[in-house]
Amino acid sequence: MLGRRLGIGPLVLPGVVWLALFFLVPLAFIAAVSVGTHDRFGRVLFDALTLDNYRKAFAPTFIPTISRSIYYAGMTTILSITIGYPVAYWISRYGGRNKALLLILVMLPFWTSYLIRTYAWMIILRDNGVVNSILRGLGITSEPIILLNTDLAVILGMTYGFLPFAILPLFVSIDRLDQALVLAARDLYASGRSAFIHVVLPLTMPGVIAAALLTFIPAIGDYVTPDLLGGAQTTTVAKVIQTLFLSGRDWPQGAALGFILMALTIAGTFVAIRSLRAEVLN
Amino acid sequence: MTTERDPSKIDLERVLVRYLAEERMTRRQLLHRISVVGATAALAPIVAACSTAGASAAPSAAASAASEAPSVPPSASAAAEATATPEPTPEPTPEAELHIWNYAEYMGENVVPSFEKKYGVKVSTDFFDTYEGMYARVTAGQTGFDITFPTSTDIPGLVTIGKILPLDLSLIPNKVNLGSEWANPGYDPGNAHSMPYMWWTTGVAYDSAKIKETPTSWKALWDERWKGHIAMLDDQREAFAAALIQLRFSANTVDDGELDQALGLLKQQHPLVRLYSVEDQQYMASGDIWIGHAWGSDIYAVQQKKPSVEFYIPEEGSVRGSDTAVILDGAKSPVAANLFINHLLDAKVSADNSNYIGYMGPNEAARQFISKDLLDTPWINPDKAIVDKLQELLDLGLDTDKYATRWTELKAGI
Repeated sequence: MLGRRLGIGPLVLPGVVWLALFFLVPLAFIAAVSVGTHDRFGRVLFDALTLDNYRKAFAPTFIPTISRSIYYAGMTTILSITIGYPVAYWISRYGGRNKALLLILVMLPFWTSYLIRTYAWMIILRDNGVVNSILRGLGITSEPIILLNTDLAVILGMTYGFLPFAILPLFVSIDRLDQALVLAARDLYASGRSAFIHVVLPLTMPGVIAAALLTFIPAIGDYVTPDLLGGAQTTTVAKVIQTLFLSGRDWPQGAALGFILMALTIAGTFVAIRSLRAEVLN
Repeated sequence: MTTERDPSKIDLERVLVRYLAEERMTRRQLLHRISVVGATAALAPIVAACSTAGASAAPSAAASAASEAPSVPPSASAAAEATATPEPTPEPTPEAELHIWNYAEYMGENVVPSFEKKYGVKVSTDFFDTYEGMYARVTAGQTGFDITFPTSTDIPGLVTIGKILPLDLSLIPNKVNLGSEWANPGYDPGNAHSMPYMWWTTGVAYDSAKIKETPTSWKALWDERWKGHIAMLDDQREAFAAALIQLRFSANTVDDGELDQALGLLKQQHPLVRLYSVEDQQYMASGDIWIGHAWGSDIYAVQQKKPSVEFYIPEEGSVRGSDTAVILDGAKSPVAANLFINHLLDAKVSADNSNYIGYMGPNEAARQFISKDLLDTPWINPDKAIVDKLQELLDLGLDTDKYATRWTELKAGI
């Protein structure tokens, strides 16, 4: 045991150093900043350490933005899995020899910058954009419908952006599923629907949970999409943190809020991993 | 200057720069977004090419440069006296390189090439994505840049914490070109640490194709009829100023009662607002916003492409502000930096700069070279009656938190 550990140790070292240097050290800095105060020039002071920033983070001011972030991330996760599951299922079951090609198509959007793709959504959604032009052309509306800078635009943009992150783990778990089990269920007079509900879905649950994690975590901290596609009514906590760090010149408050966001994410991940483990053990 | 560049390549780069400048997504926005999402391989080379184009295009661009310093003004005795200032004596030796850190699209295209040609200094310009991002880096430590452009209100603070160097006024004889109000400003007595660069007004922009009347008041931004098509500047001090001025309070108040009243007014407006953003050029050009809180000189640029956009300084009064050129602590080329600031104050260079970016400078001697169009635009070159109604936003120190807290509350929509 010890020998094996020693053998593998040097190989793991670069990864550990990397994580320590570029993840833990910055994290420690932010933790330190979050208990500091700031002076009139925006510099962080450590002469009077305080938890005041955490107390203030629970002020009514921040609650709506945090809950709005959770709402957007939650909707994005639900939509990504709802849309992603059938796609992954179809590729796995009916993709045949084109499976690899279809998977590449899923990943195709990554070849273009996320920024450019989000700008494309702005062009599609704006008042004189593609959607409104079509609606007007068909005579369905006379005045433009406001789509850009709304909740809808944010959720749409985030779902679009994070969908591939949901499809890939879903595909892996569906593809690994032994089809003999489905056939066995059908042999035992399960309808197609109940075979799916009682066999396929439970066995692919680890994929669903992984997909949920891979969409929810980046979505809750996503700053770009709400910033570009959102508007005055869609302020998220990520945007508030950015404002505090920059124009607010209040790094300690921003750092505290960032830590609270991270704590929420870690708690969510912990719950998800526990249920994932339970699924796998079952 | 040391390497000859293939002119065809330079042209391509210049075309790219212009392309990005004219598209709604300016380079500043592009850089900003990329800094947020991380530069992607696809975009990085283009952006890199663009950001160096301005500087490296020197040899070909200098030939076409309109303003060659030292300039001999065609007429006007006052200007002759101003621009024919003797060269700094004794002739100093500038360093080989100069690093400038600026907003994108905030310097005329000939300013750098003419300086490079005159002094043989290789100038590189980088752009900051947001002002506050630049400020945070300057206060945090060394940046590697020689010159940047803070707002005048930040000058006393930057001097106090030692982040900007005193100017060597013996290298800046063109200081005599400054208008009297700029020669000894309150924020920096004797121009010891900063040189005024450009100044601007804040007001309201609207699209006359959508709004068939002529609004004159801040109240137009609170008009229910434009619900869903109103934008406010995503700048806590500017937004509160819009409310405070309507309430006849000082735009620099730190009184909690007055600020609460202003917050009440802004909350009243919040459901009508579509966007809080500082990209006023982008939103006024997009067609989504019919009326928006905006900076005058930005809108001057929008009008060139979209003539239906109008701008006014509200009758209740408004805000004005100015930017300065400073030399950062740790600058590796202080001599070149002082000479560059002197160059910015050259009458012809300054006028050329103003004509290009649509801002008025502090340069009295430059006025005669500034285009009539710019001089006739009342919100860029307002007469005294209007200027008297404009307030400068001052540094409020820790009391800025009073604005920040309320601003967060407003944005949260509670």
